[in-house]
Amino acid sequence: MKRIFAHPFFRSVYKKVTHPFFKFIFKKAIFYLIVAFIALTFIFLIPRLMPGNPIDQMIPPGTTDVGRLRLRAELSAYFGLNKTLPEQYIDFWSHLLKGNLGLGMMRQYNFMPVAKVVMEKLPYTIALVVPVLFIGFFIGNWIGARAAYTKGKLSEAGYFTSIFVSQMPFYWFAMVLLFLLAVNFKIFPTHGTFSPRFIPGLDLTSFLDAGRHYVLPFLTLLIITTGGWASGMRSMTLYELDSGYILYGRQLGFRNKKLLSYAKRNAILPQFTGLNINLNNLIGMTMIIEMVFQWNGLGLLALQAVQARDYFMILGTFLVTMVVVIIGNFLVDIAYAFLDPRIRTGRGG
Amino acid sequence: MFDLLVRSRKFIIGTAVVLTIVFFGIIGSMLTRDPLQTNAYHAAEPPSSEFILGTGDLGEDLFAQLCAGTRNSLLIGALAGGFATLVAVLVGGIGPYKGGLMDEISNAFTSVVMVFPMLPLLILLSAIIGGGRASMFLVAALIGLTTWPWAARCIRSQVLTLKERGFIDVARMSGMKDRKIVITEIMPNMLAYIIVVFVVSLSIAVLTEAGLSMIGLGPDPSSNVTLGTMLDFIGAGSTQVALPWTMWWAFIPPGLILTIFLVAVFIMHSGMDEVFNPRLRSV
Repeated sequence: MKRIFAHPFFRSVYKKVTHPFFKFIFKKAIFYLIVAFIALTFIFLIPRLMPGNPIDQMIPPGTTDVGRLRLRAELSAYFGLNKTLPEQYIDFWSHLLKGNLGLGMMRQYNFMPVAKVVMEKLPYTIALVVPVLFIGFFIGNWIGARAAYTKGKLSEAGYFTSIFVSQMPFYWFAMVLLFLLAVNFKIFPTHGTFSPRFIPGLDLTSFLDAGRHYVLPFLTLLIITTGGWASGMRSMTLYELDSGYILYGRQLGFRNKKLLSYAKRNAILPQFTGLNINLNNLIGMTMIIEMVFQWNGLGLLALQAVQARDYFMILGTFLVTMVVVIIGNFLVDIAYAFLDPRIRTGRGG
Repeated sequence: MFDLLVRSRKFIIGTAVVLTIVFFGIIGSMLTRDPLQTNAYHAAEPPSSEFILGTGDLGEDLFAQLCAGTRNSLLIGALAGGFATLVAVLVGGIGPYKGGLMDEISNAFTSVVMVFPMLPLLILLSAIIGGGRASMFLVAALIGLTTWPWAARCIRSQVLTLKERGFIDVARMSGMKDRKIVITEIMPNMLAYIIVVFVVSLSIAVLTEAGLSMIGLGPDPSSNVTLGTMLDFIGAGSTQVALPWTMWWAFIPPGLILTIFLVAVFIMHSGMDEVFNPRLRSV
């Protein structure tokens, strides 16, 4: 990394950026651009290395041998798959920069523009990921700090519960919730985004219908992530409460509430760095949870695309996922730079 | 250091539970009947005296499946954990030890892989190796090769602090070769961390394998049973048929075993942490 930034081009730009806060952001932006380039190359290559061919799956089963050959040749030419791999790679970049993600090849989305299909599904995934990330972060850290402060039986019970919840396989927890609340007590629907034979629109009834389907996947993700934050925050706060400045403050006669607020502020910093990794995990978890509940988001689409070997749909879904992850990581880094006074003011550190 | 470990209550409890589950998998799968044998007369039966945990939709003995599944899942976990530890030691160990360009490359590589969301990447990669029809070894290798970055970070920070210690300088000045320094001086001091990394990697691998198998991208379910293939309720995999949700006896036990195993590993790990990490040491 350092060598890249030592290059004359970067040094000339870098010199003009004087404030350490912007320096930090500049460095991070370059880093994420490199990550995005590598990620996109991967997403281009991996589907083409898979066994099986999307073209063969598009040809209707009753076709004669001659017709099969002709169809295969025509479809390959249509999707640009008859070219060599380097040529396809150049095509991929030139189309991508124009915002063209190609056409779908799988049965459900035959010849539909991938960008349109993916953009239709994206809000459903964002609706799960973003609230879970923030609500889980706040509730989990609040519980964790409380748990560190309370003593005795209640604290131990809380500690064990948070470990149990955070270590539980999330997909199994989803199944248990589904079995209890949807199958046994029939409070919530078992799967889907809307009720069957329901035509969704932009009105209150379809919003309420989607809301009923939303509760279970949301609860699953929220409870699991909250458990993780709580157990992490508890141990961080305990560690801070043990350190010298708290002992000193206690001897000076500070109130417990004041001391706890000092400890919390220091304990939350490592939690913030954990936000990056948590976001990456959460995206993966959401994909599988979407499959369990058949929630109509990107994860479900991605799995269907992988199974159909649909090159362009795989590209579209994973591209959007990666972009969401990279932008999310970048935002977390900026937030961290704001929080850490050493980077914000450029003094010390 | 290892005698302190025995005095840690957390470590003892966690290890005892983990070992119980390991023995349950190994010995149980020896004593029960063939987990893949189907029996049309006893399909989808709730638990009874003949079938302790009931039967699957094709009449498989679910208790036999649970034993074999525990054993296979742990086997995949151990293999994948071993792979992840190996890669982590190579990437996180050699780079900082050599320093300079090697260190920068290994560090940049680790941070790039770390930003990648692991599960989507695994879902993509497992389709290459023919997920759903792959061997257990391949799946383990794949999981191991995608879950190492955090472990590499742990090992890197350890190597960086070890490198500055006096005894390493003494060894270097006395003309010892690099390989010998690594084996006789660094490794014994790193062993504790490598064990911790292996244990945590193992538990991550077990969790990941079950998730992959559940969506039909794990090892071949027609020849191997794992805890994940027992959870094939969502039927998202192309080869699988979704089971009815009313069969609670089929999905509660494998998930429960997984949960108990993961919690035990976590407690064992935090016990080890308290002993190996002097800042947290209380025993």
